Amino acid sequence: MTETLFEKIWNSHVVVERENEPSLIYIDRHLVHEVTSPQAFDGLRLNNRKVRRPDLTIATIDHNVPTTDRSLPMIDETSSTQIKTLEQNCKDFGIKLFGINDPNQGIVHVIGPQLGITLPGSTIVCGDSHTSTQGAFGAFAFGIGTSEVEHTLATQTLWLEKPKTFEILANGQRKNSFAVTSKDIILSIIKKIGTDGGTGHVLEYRGNAISDLSMEQRMTICNMSIEAGSRAGLIAPDSKTFDYINNREYTPENYDNLVDTWKENLMSDPNSKFDKSFTINVEKIEPQVSWGTNPAMVSDVTGTIPTPEDYGKNNEIQVESAKKALAYMNLEPETPIVEIPIDRVFIGSCTNARLEDLKDAAEIVKGKKVNSNVNAMVVPGSQMVKHEAEKLGLDKIFKDANFEWRESGCSMCLGMNPDILKPGERCASTSNRNFEGRQGSGGRTHLVSPVMAAASAISGHFVDVREWC
Amino acid sequence: MIGNVIKYEQDNIDTDVIIPGTYLKIHDYNELATHAMEGIDPDFPSKVKEGDFIVAGKNFGCGSSREHAPIALSTCGIKAVIATSFARIFYRNSVDGAFLLPIEIDDITYQKISNSDQLEVNIEKNEIKNLTKNEVYSMKPFSEIIAKIIAAGGLFKYKK
Ligand code: SF4
Repeated sequence: MTETLFEKIWNSHVVVERENEPSLIYIDRHLVHEVTSPQAFDGLRLNNRKVRRPDLTIATIDHNVPTTDRSLPMIDETSSTQIKTLEQNCKDFGIKLFGINDPNQGIVHVIGPQLGITLPGSTIVCGDSHTSTQGAFGAFAFGIGTSEVEHTLATQTLWLEKPKTFEILANGQRKNSFAVTSKDIILSIIKKIGTDGGTGHVLEYRGNAISDLSMEQRMTICNMSIEAGSRAGLIAPDSKTFDYINNREYTPENYDNLVDTWKENLMSDPNSKFDKSFTINVEKIEPQVSWGTNPAMVSDVTGTIPTPEDYGKNNEIQVESAKKALAYMNLEPETPIVEIPIDRVFIGSCTNARLEDLKDAAEIVKGKKVNSNVNAMVVPGSQMVKHEAEKLGLDKIFKDANFEWRESGCSMCLGMNPDILKPGERCASTSNRNFEGRQGSGGRTHLVSPVMAAASAISGHFVDVREWC
Repeated sequence: MIGNVIKYEQDNIDTDVIIPGTYLKIHDYNELATHAMEGIDPDFPSKVKEGDFIVAGKNFGCGSSREHAPIALSTCGIKAVIATSFARIFYRNSVDGAFLLPIEIDDITYQKISNSDQLEVNIEKNEIKNLTKNEVYSMKPFSEIIAKIIAAGGLFKYKK
């Protein structure tokens, strides 16, 4: 019988399986951060439980850390308490923590791969929906809630219903592969399949347009799988994957042997059956800009803001939601995207704040200045990314152009720390969610790629970055 | 379960409007609850009463894995969210922590239920009675697994 990659990973992790019951799945790696873990640790204490495998559990602090000078005391007391709580919990339960001043601190989904913790064929959980990022390595990586965090801490397993499989086949060659990025591919996919198109499914991205991508570009794709409602996203590992993980701090010792078994096993069998399938040709994809309040409300950069009727196509709820979104975003139908002025630019988040993202953005910014009406910042995904970028002199390029260059963390992706939009401010953001209030109450988010964000920062409005390179 | 409906005629009500990110630092459930639904309806915490139901369109709870979302709603007194569909993680969080019941209905039922209607929800019979309008609807039954977790009172009490 043929099996998909997902089924192979699932089957090799089943501890208990019975018909019409959830399966008990073994979890290989558990990543923990400060926001979704405190109640889980409280629960363990209350029931006198230990962490079953502290050696497979790794914690960092990312969501509410300040991205300004960290030698100064934190102003926000509740954040500071949450951070101290995680420090104490890690100490009490014997968990390795990459704390606020650790050179390995960073956004949880960025540090897993860069430390060699994320391995092909493994199961990875974290109390955070964008855990799906790590599916780019051929791992079944998915977000869980706090009760499940507690369950994983206590048992290193989870009861799960087996998700269905969904093949996303991306073929063709991008026209300008510098200006049209993997962010534009995934936004185009979500635009087509919708924010609930993947519900109950694990997406497997396949086709030459996916294998052409670098590992960091693949992570951007898998990162946003959750914005299509899916449980996780997966890409079969190949030589790029194996090279990326090699020689990292936590790369396993028997790495070469592991690679040999992965090469043999970790792919969907020819002719294996997916429950659903969707095909996209990337040739015609343009740089994308979101105009609404969910990640399926997206336009080509050469396009215009749609009318609610065009967007909703006779579906009354959809028409209404577009009207509401446009009111919130303060946008008029039929406005050309390139005429929309912006106030802020945020290059950051687990979607687009790895080294390649910053390199590409710097390429656009080099020798230019941020528009005087715009306030722009770069928040590297991890301290390691920041350090490597500084070695390449990227910080200088950004700072010379009047970008702020910050310490790593989630920052303005979700506005838990002081980095937030003011009400009414409009932001070109490389993050993944444009929900109302996501970047600060009343703030207006447009999702774009790092090169689009960089070019828009210089111009003061959206521009077709293809004209720049 | 009998309660009144607070209806939001919207799809994709996401976790950032249910409980905005800035409040995720709050550890105290009661304080968290004072910010529930702040993103779309700041009056929500003052108007909601113990036992009320939220009724909404599809993909309710999309977005983050924050368990704070069902916690904030349930601490306000919400016993069930009745929607045409749910985002997966919200659905599981609601059931796993035994915070509230995520109940799926079809589009026609969704249209029939109005704001402030009084409903009686019976999960044994998979039935929703609209006491205001004197109508009876069916709800989508829970899968066997979910029904078991609900019956047990959450994931931790669910034993093999
Ligand atoms: S960067 Fe944004 S999406 Fe990613 S983990 Fe942090 S808050 Fe979540």
